[in-house]
Amino acid sequence: MREEAIKQGIEQRYESCLVTVPREKRVIISLPKDSLFSLIAFMKEQGFQHLSLITCVDWIKEGKFELVYHLATYQDGIHAIVKTRIDRANPTYQSMIPLFAHAQTYEREIHEMFGVEFVGNARLTPFLLTNWQEIPPMRKDFDTKEYSERMFEHE
Amino acid sequence: MNRGGTKMTKRQLTLYFGPQHIGMVGNFSITLTVEGDTIQKAVANPGFLHRGFEKMLENCTYTQGFPYVCRINVMDPDPCEQVYAMAIEELAGLEVPPRAQYLRTMALEMSRLSSHLLWLWAYANELGFDTIGHWAMAQRDYFIDLFDMITGARVYHIYIWPGGVRRDIPTGFAEKMQQTLAGLEDSLRDYDAVFFDNRVFRRRVDGVGVLSQEEALRFGVTGGNLRATGLERDVRKEEPYAAYAEMDFEVPTMVGGDSYARAMVIRKEMEQSVFIVRQVLDKMPAGSAWRRPPNPFKWNIPAGETYVRMESARGELGVYAVSDGTDKIYRMAYRVPSYPHGILVLEKLLQGMNIADVGHMLLSLNVAAPEIDR
Repeated sequence: MREEAIKQGIEQRYESCLVTVPREKRVIISLPKDSLFSLIAFMKEQGFQHLSLITCVDWIKEGKFELVYHLATYQDGIHAIVKTRIDRANPTYQSMIPLFAHAQTYEREIHEMFGVEFVGNARLTPFLLTNWQEIPPMRKDFDTKEYSERMFEHE
Repeated sequence: MNRGGTKMTKRQLTLYFGPQHIGMVGNFSITLTVEGDTIQKAVANPGFLHRGFEKMLENCTYTQGFPYVCRINVMDPDPCEQVYAMAIEELAGLEVPPRAQYLRTMALEMSRLSSHLLWLWAYANELGFDTIGHWAMAQRDYFIDLFDMITGARVYHIYIWPGGVRRDIPTGFAEKMQQTLAGLEDSLRDYDAVFFDNRVFRRRVDGVGVLSQEEALRFGVTGGNLRATGLERDVRKEEPYAAYAEMDFEVPTMVGGDSYARAMVIRKEMEQSVFIVRQVLDKMPAGSAWRRPPNPFKWNIPAGETYVRMESARGELGVYAVSDGTDKIYRMAYRVPSYPHGILVLEKLLQGMNIADVGHMLLSLNVAAPEIDR
């Protein structure tokens, strides 16, 4: 099975990596943040040429943000979910633009919605929100109800 | 011109295109820097349709999310329901009956057809072919009538549901569907004669807005825009969902990657969708259309994560869902197809183009503003 071969290839190269194959055409990889960039560069060489999505999950209880990179191959359609956790108090990570040009837009959104800084992305300008003064809204501690009651009068 | 002693050879203007524009499907704006008629720089400004759906989903039980997700793409709502349902089913380990898979396939293809016809309306209008626009819009309405018949709703159907679809097709539906499909096939011949084979159309779009295959891959473009560069890539074939594994259809491709190639991919896809819906009606197995999930108000889904994907009218639509074992989703991120080509690719293609091509390019790339903004 190709998924298992990918798993072994990554585990051999990156010891601190946790790789699971939950089902056909899916590989989930979690690893420390220091080796993520190099792993993604390695995977790109191995055929994962399509960056499908970058997203972020706020694990507020653990005090971490989880950056989730979705890569896929064009040949056999294997989709890999590559995750790493960064410190929630100081959310900074390096940009993926050197590997994938369109990472720019995804990072722009994560910067706006979670407040993560991406070093190397020159375009972390407002994206979907206008004149936003509050904490980044997709963070778990942003209270939508409290915000709308404060912003909009209600009876 | 001489102003204050400095000779100005260039005169650049800033123009705002949108957020309201006749040729635009949804609100979206582009800030253009122009010199004469030529665009020097384009900056896409999304966000006019940001409704915060991903945040709202975190406050909803699993079934409460359906009225939100279909609104992610106004033109093509059913795929957004399908991926949402697929993610829930995968996390909860819920089986879908075979008949429901067929009904889902039908609803998804109907959605693709109505999205493509709406696109044809806007695209033709933008190029000055008003008549064909009206025809396409009228044809789309017949599909909307069919949606009305099976779901009771015209635009947002909330038809696909965890464990199947909300209801089976009513009596007389199959006949009406066959009539509508035959009507569309007739109309497609008219569209060809008046629009797609028209010399005026060809001269207007040939070689305009060329996106090479390397560039498309570099920017993560999927769907029709990628197939117009000659690469046959379709999630329906790559990782079949619903009943697509049992359907016989082709994935149309074109070469060139220009506005004409992209339009022809959509034109050919409409034909394929007609084939698929006919096969669904012919082969549909008997049985239940819905397997009842647990009580939706006390439905705790086991902790886990998944990524599911499908082919919407614009390309790869996916959902990354994380559950923490409660009755509400912990995080749900939508991967929308318009995201790569609606911002960076659009900005790149507009550079050096004529002002008259801005609306044309937005529609040629089939950008859906509501799905970028969510």
